[in-house]
Parts: sequence; C-alpha cells; structure tokens
Amino acid sequence: MNFFERQEEARRSTRKLVVLFVLAVFLIVMAVYLAVAVALTWAEDTVSVDPWNLTVLGWVAAFTLTVIVVGSLYKIAALRSGGQAVGRLLGGRPLQPNTRDFKERRLLNVVEEMALASGLAVPTVYVLDQEKGINAFAAGFGPGDTVIGVTRGCLDLLSRDELQGVIGHEFSHALNGDMRLNLRLMGLLHGILVIAMIGYWILRTTSGGSSSSSSSSSGSSKKSGGGQLAFLGLAFMVIGGIGVFFGRLIKSAVSRQREFLGDAAAVQFTRNPSSIAGALKKIGGLAAGSRIVNSHAEEASHLFFGNGMGKGFSVKLDDMLATHPPLADRIKRIEPDFDGKLPAVDAGAVSQAQQLAAKEEEETGGLVPGLAPRRAAPAPAPAPPPAAAPRTVDVDPGTIAASVGTLDQAHLELASSFLARLPPALRDAARDPSGACATIFGLLLDRDPALRRRQLDDLQAAVEAPIHEETLKLGPALDQCPVDARLPLVDLALPALRRLSEPQYRVFRAAVERLIAADAKLSLFEFTLQRILLRHLEPHFHPSRPPAVVYGSLRPVSRQASLLLSILAHAGQAQSERAAQAFATGAGHLSDTRAVATLLPFEQCGLADLDRALAALVQAAPAMKQKLLEACTATIAFDKRVTIQEGELLRAISDSLDCPMPPFLPGQALA
Amino acid sequence: MTVLIVVLVVALVLIAWLVGIYNRLVKLRNQYKNAFSQIDVQLKRRYDLIPNLVETAKGYMKHERETLEAVIAARNKAQAAVQAAAARPGDPAAMQGLQTAEAGVTGALGRFFALAESYPDLKANQNMLSLQEELTSTENKVAFSRQAYNDAVMGYNTARETFPNSIIAGATGFGPAQLFELEAPAVERAAPKVSFT
Repeated sequence: MNFFERQEEARRSTRKLVVLFVLAVFLIVMAVYLAVAVALTWAEDTVSVDPWNLTVLGWVAAFTLTVIVVGSLYKIAALRSGGQAVGRLLGGRPLQPNTRDFKERRLLNVVEEMALASGLAVPTVYVLDQEKGINAFAAGFGPGDTVIGVTRGCLDLLSRDELQGVIGHEFSHALNGDMRLNLRLMGLLHGILVIAMIGYWILRTTSGGSSSSSSSSSGSSKKSGGGQLAFLGLAFMVIGGIGVFFGRLIKSAVSRQREFLGDAAAVQFTRNPSSIAGALKKIGGLAAGSRIVNSHAEEASHLFFGNGMGKGFSVKLDDMLATHPPLADRIKRIEPDFDGKLPAVDAGAVSQAQQLAAKEEEETGGLVPGLAPRRAAPAPAPAPPPAAAPRTVDVDPGTIAASVGTLDQAHLELASSFLARLPPALRDAARDPSGACATIFGLLLDRDPALRRRQLDDLQAAVEAPIHEETLKLGPALDQCPVDARLPLVDLALPALRRLSEPQYRVFRAAVERLIAADAKLSLFEFTLQRILLRHLEPHFHPSRPPAVVYGSLRPVSRQASLLLSILAHAGQAQSERAAQAFATGAGHLSDTRAVATLLPFEQCGLADLDRALAALVQAAPAMKQKLLEACTATIAFDKRVTIQEGELLRAISDSLDCPMPPFLPGQALA
Repeated sequence: MTVLIVVLVVALVLIAWLVGIYNRLVKLRNQYKNAFSQIDVQLKRRYDLIPNLVETAKGYMKHERETLEAVIAARNKAQAAVQAAAARPGDPAAMQGLQTAEAGVTGALGRFFALAESYPDLKANQNMLSLQEELTSTENKVAFSRQAYNDAVMGYNTARETFPNSIIAGATGFGPAQLFELEAPAVERAAPKVSFT
C-alpha cells in the first residue's frame, strides 16, 4: 500500500466513523428521551404518558443535538491551530531549535534528520515534562503545523536508536494523513463526551457546594432541589456513558491498525527492527509504562505512540476498546521470535547510564549530527553518498511518485551526512530565529554585485540592524553552499522561523518579497523558496482551514493540470518542439489524456499562475495526485536527466500538493 | 418549558464564550512564556562565554584584577537573575531584577573592552577575537528574541486589560506581564564593540 492509497483509506475510515458517530448521537438522544419520559411520568404521577410523545421527543432531540453540536464546534475551534493546540493541551513545552541541552539536542537532531530524509518540513517538537512514562505523539492538520511531542521518560530512557524508531513511527502518522483524521476525531468526539462531562460537573458542584448553596437558597424546596440536581447529574453521567463508550469504540476502530502500520513504517525508515522493538520493550519493562497523567489524556489517547490510558474495570472490555494493540503483539510483529520477556527498566539506573553515555558522546563530538556513535548493531550501511553531488540525477517517474510519504536508510544517511557537512556557522544560524531570517535573506541575494548591493541596502532599510549584519556575515558561507543544500537549509530553518513574533514575521515576509522582486524577475529557485516559506509558515501565524478533497477527477481542473505540465516542460526544455514532446510524455501518464491536450505557449506559463493552479490541484483526490506527480516526473525526466533546479521544483510542487517527497539520491538509478 | 430551554441555551452560549476568552488568555500567556525561553537560551549562552573571556584576558591584564572581578561578579548576579526570571517569566519583580543585572553585565563588559584597548597583545589574540565575535552575535540574538518576547507580552497585556477580558483575567488570576527593556538603551543597541584599528 503506498502513500496515496493510505490517504484514500484514511478518508474511507472517516466515513466509517461518521456512521458510528451518527449512531452514537441517535442512541444518546433516545436515552435522554427515555430519561425525560421517566421523569415526566414521575412528576405528573400519571403513568399514561404516551411513550411516543412527539413534542417531547422533538424538544429533547433539539436540546441534545444543540449540546453535542456546540461541544464539537467548540473543540474544533479550539483545535484550529492544530498540533500546537494539542501540544499545549497536554502540558507540553516547545523545544527551542537552538537548545544546548544534550538530550534535547539529540532529539532535535533525530527529528531533523528524519524530516530532511522524508521531505517533510522540520516539525515543532514539544516535550511533556511532567510525563515520566515513555510515549510520544504526532498532531497537526498539515505540514505547516505538525507537532511531534515526546514525554520526559522518552527523552531520558531511550537510546538514540530507540528514539529514532519512535520518531519514525510518529513520522509515519504525519506522512500518512493519520494526524488530520485524529484531530478531526478529537473535535467531533468532544461533542458526545460533553454530556458526561456536564454530568460530572453537576455532581461535583452539588456534592461539594451543598452546604453553601443551602444557606443562600430559600424555601422548603431547597433540599429536594439539591437531590433532584444530583439525580440530574447522575442521569447525565449515565447517558454520557453511551458517548464515552462510543467515543472509545470509534477511536479504537480507527487507531489500532494504524499503530501496526506505524511500527512497520518505523522499521522501514530506520532499517533497524531493534530500534522500535527496543522502545516497546522498555515501555513494557518500565513501571510507569506509557501512561499519560495529564487530565486531557482521554481526549488524545488515540494520538499516542503507546497506550496512554490506565487499566479499566474489565480486561475484556479494555481489549475491545483499547486504542492500541497489546504491547506483546506489537513486538511480535517486529520480532517474530520474541519470547515475551520484558526486562524491568529502572528509571534511575537507565538515566544514569544515559548520562554517562551522553558525556562520552559529547566528548566524541556526538552533538554533531551524523557523528553520533550508533550503539545497537546497525543495518548494513549503504555506500556513503559522494562528497560532491552531481548536478543531475537520473529518475524514474513511477518510483519517484511511489517514494512519496516514505523514506529509507539511504535517505536518512543522506540527511545526516548533509547535516554533518553543513558548516557549523550555517547550522547554528538556521536554528536561531534571527539567524534563520538572515539565512533566508542570504539565499536570496543575487550573484551580480551591483544588484546584490541594492538588495542589501533595501534589506538594511527593512529589517533590524543585527539581522542585516548577520546576513552580511552569512553571505559568503551561503555562496559556497552547494546548490542541492539550499532547500534542505530552508527546511532546517523553519522551526526557528516559527518562533518569530507576529510583527517580526510580517517584517520578514515583506523583506523576502522585496528581495525576490529586486531583479524584477522570478527565478525558479525564488519561486520554490517563497512557496515553501508561505506554505509552512503562513498556517502557523494565521491558522486557516486545511484543504478538503473537492475534485474526484481531473476534468474540472484540466486547465490547471496542463499549466503545471507546461511549466515543467518549458523549465526542462529550451526549444518548444522538445518541450511539446516532454509535455506529451508527461500527459501520457494521465489516464484521461483528453483532459490535458495541448502544451501552453511559454508566454502563458507564468509562475504566478502556477500558484493559483496548485491551490486548486491540492484539492484533488489522492489517486489523482499520484497520477499528476507521475506525469510531472515523466515530463521532467523526458530527456533522461533531471537538473537540481528541476528536482527542486518537482519537490516543491509535490509539497504543495501535500505529498512530501524525499530528496533525490545522487546517482539514483533510472529503473 | 420553552423559557427554560431558551435560558439553558443562552447560558450554554455564554459559558462557551467565557471559556473562549479564558483559553485565549492562556494561549497568549504560553506564547510569551515560550518567547522568554528563547531569550533564556541566548542569555545563558552569553553568560557561559564571559568566564572564557576573562580567562583569556587574565594572562594579559595582570593589573586589572578589579575590572575582571567586576565582570565576573556582574555575570554571576545576572546568571542568578535569569534563573529566577526563567522560573516565573513575565513576573514584574523577576523581570526587573533581570533588567538591572543585564545592565550591570553590559556596563562591566563595556569597561572591560575599553581597558582591553590598551593591550595590543590581547587585541591580537585569536581566542579573544573569536570570543568577542561570538559575544556580539549572541547579543544581537538576545536583542532579536527580546523583541519577540516584548511583542508577545504586548499582545497578552492588551488582551488582559481590554473589556470584557479584564473581568475574566481578574477573576482567574492572570497577572500583568513585564516587558524586557534594557535600562540604558543607547549603550545596549550598539553591543559592546571595540574597533581594533
């Protein structure tokens, strides 16, 4: 099953859970009606209340539905800022990208490597400091607001390899569209959980504040009033129980299979089964396990790496409703000869050993990514990538599109060697807000000295002096930077750029626009860079609705599709005849060739139009996107050669379609 | 019955609205706390550099023990202040303490670099040059993250003080947050920099 099929499947599960949700709502309405009918019978002392009193039913339905809808809408609004909202809800603290704490640095290095290897923008990392268990989560609506959260226990107790396994598992959720589904689920389910919460609240206030309320209320009915209120609370709790039950059922239906998939993906990404298995075993051996103590754990239980909830009353029911498969089953799927023994993990001892290892690693330069010694037996390492990447790479349309949403050891090696080769000054700059701004500005500086001076003067007027200075300082280093390292550097700078304050971000965006406009031309690189920045920063500063699937076929967006292919054809081929041939090759990969018949002339292929086209195409169904990406790759690979610029453009387009594409490996073979 | 339902619905909407305001305040508070930890990282970096600087200078500036000790004393005081402020970011007293301590470090460093002018060997020392460069760059970064923090505090304070948020903020204990401003802006803006010409 590839990336696109999993996206489809995620959408199908959405439909399944909507059915379950409607069923839950129906049952709740009926239960409320039943309770009201009983209460009415009681109150009026007449047994002859018609069991199907439609007026009452109507009112009950209207009232209950209002509560559910308000509850859901409220939560959905609260979760609008995506991953960050979840991170905050669970008591997380965002890590500073330039932290110098060893464990935090190591975690960030692992995340950065994985992100660069998969083509996903580097996500914001949260640490849940209060949680001593081993657990992690990924949350967010899209690439712009992805958050990876990790518990303190995870940070303290896991080795680098195990950490990599856990992060790989979370990345698979991020890559496969599970996150968006999970967040929607969280919002939707809040509506049916809210009744139980109201009941709990009423019970608590009536029992806790009964003495004070009796003094303020007057008349003889106060005692019976309190009793009725308590009864009401109890009724709410019982009825809400239906919601809680269905909530768990829905979550377990959606989440369990995905955990197996996540584990499998972690093995695939790291090529090291002992990494994820080791982490799972440590959860089993640790007294705190994967427990999450935060009071919001129930709401978010389906987001976690391990089972975050404690044991309930009945083992059987627990098994049915668990959001995660049993630990032993998960380990067995990775290590078939697992004997079921979980060596006990002593939190104190492990963290001491880690401290020692940390010291050792620090001394041997372990803080530099890629140089960290691997403790567990590593998988046979592929040949290290050549120091100087060739300017062109060979690619195959099918394999490239299939590689979307995955990564493997070779990509991880490439990413970590990229990080290791990066000059320390650049690496540090990219992890710091002011340095990250300067890095982006420096990348946009023109090679032409006169133009460059004008750009720098412009910059001096637009931004603060320190940033201007830093841009000057980084300029030479950035000029030395290999062409294929420029976009990964941008990816690396994204977490630091998210730390800007809103006014600072506005200044930054305006300065980027001015630098790009300085030569009155929009180059491919400038376009790509701006596209990446806007896609990954704009949703963070101004949350908006994530795109929904609107187009089931290419017919309504054929103009946009042909524009996309035309631009790629012109970008690769200077002569219009060759461009037409490249276009035809690409269009041949679309099932509906009539939809994109002709190559648009060069004059009509403005990059500004591409922006609009991509905004429409992102709303296509996953299967359409796969075809489109295959067509794009075929167009580019028409002459059997892909330049770095073409590759970058292709990756930016893929990224714009919400399909993270791993970087091309130098010398990647044409299959 | 109808009246009851209308009242209930109105109450529900009202509660949702109040909770919304409360959550917004929490979000803004977290934002400025987060922005402070950005300053925290840079300040700690700066304070880690100072002992190295003094160590390097010691060999050359034998007769300036007092100045060197003053730098170290100011640095130690500031380090304690930043720890106190990190425990309670935005707290007026803690921030005030940090501001004073920061001004002390800046002043002591300023005097130190002025003195270093008269030691040509020290000026030419490679270690000294790179430390100085790193100090300047760290100070620039502090200035930038300070701006981010002040923006966040401004947003929070505005949200806290406007009506009707002020009622909720008052009832639920959202205190005012203090901006991080430096006491001698003219000196600070040009980070202690000495031209070696």
